[in-house]
Amino acid sequence: MKLILSTSNIMKGGRPSVIRQPQQKSNVELITSLRSNFLASQQIDHNGADSHANGTNGTNGANGTNSDANGSSSWTLERDGALYIPAIDFAQPGLAEDRDQYDITVKLFYLPGIPASRRCAHTREAIDLVLKELHVKSIDLLIVSFPGILFDADDDSEEEEPEPSGEPDHFDSMVQTWRVLESLHEQGMIAQLGVAEFGSERLARFLPHTKVKPSVDQINLKDCCVVPKSLILYAKQEQIQLLTHNDCNDILPVGTTRELLGPADKGGAGILASAPEAHDGIQGHVEPQWVVKYTAVVKDRGVVENKGYFALADVGTCVKPRP
Amino acid sequence: MGLLALGTALEWSEAKKKAGQVRQWGIEQLLANWRRAKGKERDALLWGDEVEYLVVALDDAAKKARLSLAQAEILKSLAQDEALWKAGSCSNGGNGDHDGEEPPHFHPEFGRFMLEATPGQPWGIGFKDLLKVESNMKWRREVAKAHMAPNESPITLTTFPRLGTKDDYIQPYYPPSGPALRSQFVPDEIANPHIRFPTLAANIRSRRGRKVELNVPVFKDRNTPSPFKDPTVNYDLHQWPEDADVRNGAAKDDHVYMDAMAFGMGSCCLQITFQAKNMTEGRKLYDQLSPLGPILLALTAATPIYKGFLVDTDVRWNQISGAVDDRTPEELGEAPLKNDRWRIPKSRYASNSTYISQDPRLRKEYLDPDLVIDENIKKRLIEGGMDDLLATHFAHLFIRDPLVIFSEDLEELDLNKGDHFENLQSTNWQHMRFKPPPSDKDDIGWRVEFRSMEIQMTDFENAAFCIFIVLVTRAILSFDLNFYIPIQRTTENMETAHARNAVLDQKFYFRKDPFVRRAPRHAAQHSSNNSAFSSTTSSAVNTPPPSPPLGPVETEYELMTIAEIINGCSDGFPGLIPLVESYLNSVNVDVETRCFLASYLDLIRKRADGTLWTGAKWIREFVAKHPSYQHDSVVSEEITYDLIKAVEEVTAQEGKNGSVGWEFLRGKKN
Repeated sequence: MKLILSTSNIMKGGRPSVIRQPQQKSNVELITSLRSNFLASQQIDHNGADSHANGTNGTNGANGTNSDANGSSSWTLERDGALYIPAIDFAQPGLAEDRDQYDITVKLFYLPGIPASRRCAHTREAIDLVLKELHVKSIDLLIVSFPGILFDADDDSEEEEPEPSGEPDHFDSMVQTWRVLESLHEQGMIAQLGVAEFGSERLARFLPHTKVKPSVDQINLKDCCVVPKSLILYAKQEQIQLLTHNDCNDILPVGTTRELLGPADKGGAGILASAPEAHDGIQGHVEPQWVVKYTAVVKDRGVVENKGYFALADVGTCVKPRP
Repeated sequence: MGLLALGTALEWSEAKKKAGQVRQWGIEQLLANWRRAKGKERDALLWGDEVEYLVVALDDAAKKARLSLAQAEILKSLAQDEALWKAGSCSNGGNGDHDGEEPPHFHPEFGRFMLEATPGQPWGIGFKDLLKVESNMKWRREVAKAHMAPNESPITLTTFPRLGTKDDYIQPYYPPSGPALRSQFVPDEIANPHIRFPTLAANIRSRRGRKVELNVPVFKDRNTPSPFKDPTVNYDLHQWPEDADVRNGAAKDDHVYMDAMAFGMGSCCLQITFQAKNMTEGRKLYDQLSPLGPILLALTAATPIYKGFLVDTDVRWNQISGAVDDRTPEELGEAPLKNDRWRIPKSRYASNSTYISQDPRLRKEYLDPDLVIDENIKKRLIEGGMDDLLATHFAHLFIRDPLVIFSEDLEELDLNKGDHFENLQSTNWQHMRFKPPPSDKDDIGWRVEFRSMEIQMTDFENAAFCIFIVLVTRAILSFDLNFYIPIQRTTENMETAHARNAVLDQKFYFRKDPFVRRAPRHAAQHSSNNSAFSSTTSSAVNTPPPSPPLGPVETEYELMTIAEIINGCSDGFPGLIPLVESYLNSVNVDVETRCFLASYLDLIRKRADGTLWTGAKWIREFVAKHPSYQHDSVVSEEITYDLIKAVEEVTAQEGKNGSVGWEFLRGKKN
């Protein structure tokens, strides 16, 4: 089964989502805003619908007396084989003003260890959710983050983590993925494409394989102002805008997903069992597939009106445990 | 300063009779304009900064620094160039660095030794625009300097250290004691000669019934006499009736005494004006920025010297407040109310006194129950369709008398103009100003002005503070931040900000939690459907409070250090800089811009935590370490000359490589 995790609009979500302490990992924004959205939805549910005992969906936790298992039945929603955590009502209006007032940026994180062959479907799935959430037909910029690329500002040679076995050619798979993005660009769904963490060498190797060039290269600067000159020059020459970001390279680790969704007595949302074979929630291995972040900024006022995340994980007995 | 119309300015005895008419006409103009502009929507963020300069003239041979009164000549020369520029024949300043930028505008100010410069066109929120601010400020300085005598230059000190001393601190020299100011320290020629300015000064004095009175506590160094009796005061003058003020106790022991508008309105400030998307957003920004006023005042502190003495305060604010205080003894509460209508607790130049946003988070407890308003004016505004909060705001501003009235303007009421409204609006110098769109310009929206900051010595700092405030406004709107505290606490904070080294030593009232409580989407939806404005039974002024019910107002805020407010504390207030950074992490910022912004935010972070000094502290240390300083609080002509030279060097070198001023700009010598 697919689990679709969402944060709703984190700009209105209060402190936990917004402020990061210096020592914290940068994926804390995603994790804490998911957690607080789950909590808030459960509270509303508890306050609003006491007599919701006979949930109609499939999250029948083995021990039905568990109040959290009960609760999850109404604050989540199962539709077309996917469990929305929490339930999303796409009938709610998206943005306050006309579409042309906004710059909508979407960043899609392909996660480590997930076969590149799935990226085509994943990309469509992720973009589709964002379009539905914001009630728009297209986005202005899609930045894709490939797993395993780490930009190192000091020596301008982005490190590649050793390629996982069963992943024949990392570079080829990026080019393959780019074809999918180019087709979405052609369909008018995405105005501009971007990559993340590419150094100048990788860009130089990548560009000849593209029909639609990336307009953006997004890099994470630990200490701002130390950008390799070669990258600055190359980006300028190729008219690629260098943007900064503050995202984590491992945005949603497997263990974190189970922590988030596991039994309530362990601080989770009460959806998943505490272990693949345990009986206190949905059984099976859990495997996060992708994470997407979206922001809608009112262009000439610089106001971030909507920002949020979706994450998708597969769960069930057919999901293979990770090596 | 607003537009300078010419005409016949009425003396106070005449102006006083016309005050009611001007107020009434001003209110009708406001209503007409409000009806026209209240529906204006979707205006872009545009903003502008105003940098004010002192023009100093250095006499290297005599080692003297003086104020230059050449404002008129400099402005004339600047205006000619601007005209040439507009005509297309690019002259000076048209170098490649500022291609596509309109030439800056220069404006007169109250002091004849002052200049004000604004960018040629307003800034937007495009990050490329933010990068231009500092270089544009530097450009303004270059252009101004190019129109001055070789020994003159524009400097951005808030005040001239020896304004009002007995020596020849102005060039050309005029002896003190003229008919308009009647000051025993400064001549009338110190003020801009345009009829508006001497009239303003004279009518403030006449309305008040005596000269303005500024007593600033002296900084007691080890050789400072105690009690300190300001040695520059002359008790034996008999030219004007007001010369008796000092014999009646105007000059207080242990204080530096000043007696003219020039001592306040001759100060340089750093002000920023923002255009909001509509009136609602403008009102929200006005309220939310208001509690930040005193914080930014303390953080920008740069005013430790008056009239040749080190003083025990760090900022200019109260001196300006006193310098334009036109309240009568009855209004001040020194005499029983007989002729005047009410007692008024604050000067026309003061922290603002009421909130105006139709925000459900605005609780009644945040408002001042003793706010003085003109009930008739409020009634008229409400009859005219204005809501209670905004009507209250203007009915408060309009308790004042108009100070400068031109008889030509009283012949006919023109509802397409805003002159009478502006007459009152622009002489209410509060730390925030809410500006309706000009009645004759359709392309300008509702604006909010942030007015408390002190000018900084370098353009790097001035750009940093402007851009910081701009980013704070974006964070306020993006995160829907709530900084409300009872407005009287802001008034108290404003006083607190004056203390020597308040930035590190004092604590300020500030709201603990700026965030809305999380309302999940269907709940949020419900409440937004429900946002018809009703001010009925609840604590909130505008809509019923959200559930769960609100706690006591006193639990919402506490005393915090500036460092906690700016940089955050682990369990309490998250900090303005972390909020701004969180905002920046949510928008697409290019690498170069982010680096610039990082250097600006770093300056502010370090000012707040004490790693970097304020300008005030640096000036104090400069004086204390000067070989000729006697530790008697006296800032001599020689020290002043060396200080001005050092300020010029700081402005150029910005403390780089251990050059002078590194203590407040870099924090380290290399």
